[in-house]
Amino acid sequence: MKQFMTVLRFELNNYFKNKSFVITTAVLAVLLAAVIIVPTLIPGLLGDDSSGEDAKENMEKMGICVQTEEIRDMNSLLTVFPAKWTEFADEKELKQAVETEEIEAGFVLKDGYQVTYVVNNLSISDTLSEQFGMALNQYRKQQYLVELGLSPEEAANLENAAVTVVPEILGKNSARNYGYTYILIFVVYFLILFYGQMIATSVTTEKSNRAIEILVTSVNSNSLIFGKVLAGAIAGIIQAAVILGSGFLSYHTFGEKWGGLLDFLFEIPVRVLVTYIFFALMSYLLYAFIFGMLGAMVSKTEDISKSSTPITMIYVASFLVAIFGMSDSDGMLIKVASFIPFTSGNAMFIRVSMGSVAVWEILLSGGLLLLSCVVAGILAAKIFRFGTLHYGNPIKFKTALKNVRGK
Amino acid sequence: MKLEVKDLTKIFGEREVLHGISFSVESGSALGLLGRNGAGKTTTIRILMDVFKSNSGTILLDGKPFCPREHQIGYLPEERGLYPKKTVSEQLIYLGMLRGLDAKKAKEQTKKWLKRMGVEEYENRKLETLSKGNQQKVQLAQTLLCDPDIIILDEPFSGLDPVNSQILKDVIREQIQQRKLVIFSSHQMSYVEEFCEEIAILNHGEIVLFGDLREIKREFGRDRLVLSSLAESPVELAERLEMGYADILEVEKIQKDRVIIRKNHPKNKNAILKRLVEEEVELEFFGLYEPSLNDIFVEKAGDEA
Repeated sequence: MKQFMTVLRFELNNYFKNKSFVITTAVLAVLLAAVIIVPTLIPGLLGDDSSGEDAKENMEKMGICVQTEEIRDMNSLLTVFPAKWTEFADEKELKQAVETEEIEAGFVLKDGYQVTYVVNNLSISDTLSEQFGMALNQYRKQQYLVELGLSPEEAANLENAAVTVVPEILGKNSARNYGYTYILIFVVYFLILFYGQMIATSVTTEKSNRAIEILVTSVNSNSLIFGKVLAGAIAGIIQAAVILGSGFLSYHTFGEKWGGLLDFLFEIPVRVLVTYIFFALMSYLLYAFIFGMLGAMVSKTEDISKSSTPITMIYVASFLVAIFGMSDSDGMLIKVASFIPFTSGNAMFIRVSMGSVAVWEILLSGGLLLLSCVVAGILAAKIFRFGTLHYGNPIKFKTALKNVRGK
Repeated sequence: MKLEVKDLTKIFGEREVLHGISFSVESGSALGLLGRNGAGKTTTIRILMDVFKSNSGTILLDGKPFCPREHQIGYLPEERGLYPKKTVSEQLIYLGMLRGLDAKKAKEQTKKWLKRMGVEEYENRKLETLSKGNQQKVQLAQTLLCDPDIIILDEPFSGLDPVNSQILKDVIREQIQQRKLVIFSSHQMSYVEEFCEEIAILNHGEIVLFGDLREIKREFGRDRLVLSSLAESPVELAERLEMGYADILEVEKIQKDRVIIRKNHPKNKNAILKRLVEEEVELEFFGLYEPSLNDIFVEKAGDEA
C-alpha cells in the first residue's frame, strides 16, 4: 500500500507539474466562469434589461416602396413587422439609400404577392425577407377578415390569440435533460480518449527509457500499474471537476441574470448526478486499465497509437451509440448497450437521465461494469508484468493472454 | 550471508536457456559471472531478481528460499535507464521511497551517494542534460541508495571511461570490505580479476567453471610451463620441442614471444630443463605458467570463437 501511494503521488506530481495540464485546466475553468459571469458584469447583454426606448433605438432601419394599390393600410403592415421604417416613393431612391447604408435593407412591393428585397450583401443568416413575407401574409389575412366585417382590432386579436400550453411532466423532461446529458457524455469521451493515451504513454515511456527493470525490481508491479492508472484517473477527474465546478459555482452564484436560460446545463438532479459519477468513473477506469495494458505491450511510444486504435474505435462506437440513443432513450439499442460494459457507462447514464429505467437494471448494469473493471485491472496488472521486459516488436494480445494463463 | 543457486533451469518458449546451473557466493566476497553474449548471465540475474521465474531449481539465502523483495538489494540491470525529464534527485528520492525509505532518509541517501559518485552538483539537473558517464554514475547511485546487503551489477563498467571506472572500482571494493555480497557480470576480465575471489563461467546456459579464482588459476597453470629463447623465435622453439621432446611434453600454444607447453608428468619439470640445458638451448625464460582470466575464459567459453 505504501509503495502504491508512492507511485500514485509520483505519477500525480507528473500531471500537476505539467504546465500544459495546469494552464489548460485554469484557462478552461476561467473561461467558463467568465462566460457565465459576463451578463452580471455587463447589464443588458442578454437583452432583458433594455428599456422600450432602447429597444426602439436598436431596431433595424428599413425602407419600403409600395407600387401597388393593394396595400391600402400601410400602417397596419408596418406594425406587423417592427422596424424603423422609411417610406420611399421611388424604387431607385430606395436602392440608393441601401447602397449608402442609410437603411439596412428595403422592400419594393410590386403587388400584393410580389416583393423585391433590396440588400447590399446577403448574409447566410439573413432572415429579413422571410420575416417580411410572413408579415405580409399576416397583413393580408387581417385585411381579408376586415373585409368580411370584423374591425381591424378584432382581426388583429383573432390573429394573435395567445394560447398557453403548460406541460405537466410526470416522468422526465428529456428535452430539458438533453443539454447536460450531452455535455457530461462528452466530458467522459474526452477524459477516456485523452487520459487513456496519456496512461499508455506513461507506461511505454518507462519501457522505452529502460527505467522499467529498475522499477519492477523495486516495487510490486500491481502497485505500479494501479498507481499509474489511478493517477491518470484522478488527474482527469480533478481537471473535469475544476472546469465543470467553476461553471456550476459561477452559475449558482452569478446565474440570476441568465434567467434560468442555462438550467438545462447546470440543474442536474442528484440521482442523475450520482449515477453519472459512478458509471463515468467505472467506465473511465475500465478503459484506463485497457490503455495501460496496451502501453505495456509496445516498446516505443510511436507504436502506442497503432496498438490503441482498436480500443479507441470501440470507445468511439460506444460514444456514437450513446449519441444516437439520446434521441430514443427507451429504444432497444440503448437498452442493450446499457448492459454491455464497454458501452454501459454512457448508455445507462442516458437511460437514467432521459429515459425510464428500473432500479434493478441500474444495479445489474453497474455490477457488470464494476466486475469488468476488476477483471480489466487484474488482467492489466498481469499483462503489464509480462509485457514490461519484452522489447522490440509489439506483443500480440493473444500471446500476452496465453502467457498470462501460463500456457 | 550465503546465497546459493541450485539447479536453475529456464525455458523460453521451446528453447532451454539455462540447463540446471548452480553456484554460490558469500558476504564479503564478489562473484564474477562470466560468459559470452547469450550465455545466460542476464537471465540468471533476472531470475535472482525475480524479474523472471525459473522453470526449476532453487535459490536459497542462508538456507531459506530467497525472495529479493524481502531484502535490500542494489540492482543495476543491463538494460538500464531512468527518467530523462526528471531531475536527478527527484528520481533517486522516488526510487529510495519505493524501496522503503521515508522521504527524509531518501533525501539524505540521495545526497550521500551523489556525493560519493562525484555528481552532487547535478542533483537539480534533469538527467537528460548529463553526459552518458555521469548518467551512469547516477544509475550506480540509485543501485546503492538503500545501502543494500546484496549488490547485483549486470555489466556495470559498460560505458564508463577509465576515470569513472576507477570510482566504480573503489566503490565496489568498499562494499566488499563492508561485508556486502556482490555479484557482477562483465565481459571485461581485468575488472573481474581485480575484485572477484570466485568466478562462474557460463557457456550455452551451463556453468562450465565455478570456484575460487586463485584455485582455478593454479589448477590451470598446473603441468604447464612457459618458455622463451634468445636465439630462436617461438615458432622455431616450438618445432624443436615437438621434434625432440615429445616423450616428456607437448606444445600447447605458441604466443607472440613465448611457447606454452604441457608436461607429460607432473614431476618432469626438472627433466625438461636439464635436457634443454644439455642441448644448449639459449633460454630467455623458463617457468610456471600463470594463466590470465582471459585465457581461462577463452578456453572454457571460446568453443565457437
